Amino acid sequence: MTSEQPQSLAIDRAVCTAHGICAGVIPEAITLDEWGFPVVHGAASSTRGADAARRLCPVAALRVVGPRRKDGDRR
Amino acid sequence: MSANPSRVLDLLGEAGLTGRGGAAFSTARKLELAQRHDATLIVNACDGEVGAAKDAWVLRQHLAEVVRGADLLAPSGRVVFAAHGGSATAERLLLARLRVLQVPRRYVSSEESALANLLHGGPAKPVTTWQPISAGGAAPDERRLAPTLVLNAETVWRAEQITHLGAPWFRSYGTEAEPGPRLVSVSVVGGAAPVVLETVAGEPITSLLARAGAADNVGSLNIGGVGGGFLTAAEAGESRWQRSDLAAYDLAPGAGVIRVLPAQMCPWNDVAALVRFAADESARQCGPCLFGLPAVADDVELLVAGRGSEATLARLRHRVGLLPGRGACHHPDGVASLVRSALRCFGEDLDAHGQGRCDHHHRSVA
Repeated sequence: MTSEQPQSLAIDRAVCTAHGICAGVIPEAITLDEWGFPVVHGAASSTRGADAARRLCPVAALRVVGPRRKDGDRR
Repeated sequence: MSANPSRVLDLLGEAGLTGRGGAAFSTARKLELAQRHDATLIVNACDGEVGAAKDAWVLRQHLAEVVRGADLLAPSGRVVFAAHGGSATAERLLLARLRVLQVPRRYVSSEESALANLLHGGPAKPVTTWQPISAGGAAPDERRLAPTLVLNAETVWRAEQITHLGAPWFRSYGTEAEPGPRLVSVSVVGGAAPVVLETVAGEPITSLLARAGAADNVGSLNIGGVGGGFLTAAEAGESRWQRSDLAAYDLAPGAGVIRVLPAQMCPWNDVAALVRFAADESARQCGPCLFGLPAVADDVELLVAGRGSEATLARLRHRVGLLPGRGACHHPDGVASLVRSALRCFGEDLDAHGQGRCDHHHRSVA
């Protein structure tokens, strides 16, 4: 797996408490809604970015599902 | 009755039984996964949807068959019946000396993962599942829920009927795509308790309403409660109770709920009440629901009261657009469809509200 491969993401919504760090690390994939909760727009552009966002989430709510699939991403 | 698990599976597959609790997923496929993981069976008799009464009806009329069906589907004997605590259904099950999971009355408590969570010692709140609950719910590296097969009470009753009357009997009802008898709960908003009817895919909705004694004075219909949407009287007049007809309006037979909104009632009063109920009854654990649903309910109430603007409507559409797919369960998705459906059906009424009147009442809005 190359580090440039886009990575699909999923968020455990019951765990997420809107720290918003993910949106800072992978803004190409995640923005925040008006209350600071993540909106996933697509895949993270690199494995490295996706992994960093996952590790930096204080509540471990971000999940890297794997290389982007054709059937789209979870929001 | 000898419960050969693979024979039961084959019969349900041949019959084409789908879940009668709302999602209409293949019961055979769900059961196959459950058998492989030796899942515990929860028979869901909560009637959790607004306007639903068929689970209670099934247990009142066919308890022995449901118990037999549960034994066939869970040969291990690990079966529990879920009902709202203190309900007549719970009382009935306790009197029959069955194992009862008493579920809090909150709307989302009877959602599949919430029931599994409650059974296994957690709160009656949905959990994020990365794989089907029949296989244990969580990812392999995380805390698992014990594998749990959650089936609606009517689904279990139908499974029992199929095992003793046969798949051809089942398929002699309904259509090729949606075989078998099914139940529907029909009520008039502000009226008496729902009437439960046996029907089949393909029955005209007007015929269902007539049989329920609810055909007069129909303004519009709420199909599927909070997790559904709306049909105008004209649309209902041209539609049959089946997936293909309802799909044209982004609706589905789902949990089998029809609520009649009387002609003299402003449908937006019902929409606003349903959305506020949905906001109050969320599990309050996922941000998009915790903050999003009350905000959506506020927007709807502002617009209905004639105190909203174009900007309020735009904000409502934006907020509704961010609900789907952003909860542990599908509660926010359901509310998003409900509001979109209301805007599609009654959008013009809302415009009138914005001009300080309700064409429904031919008078000003409060």
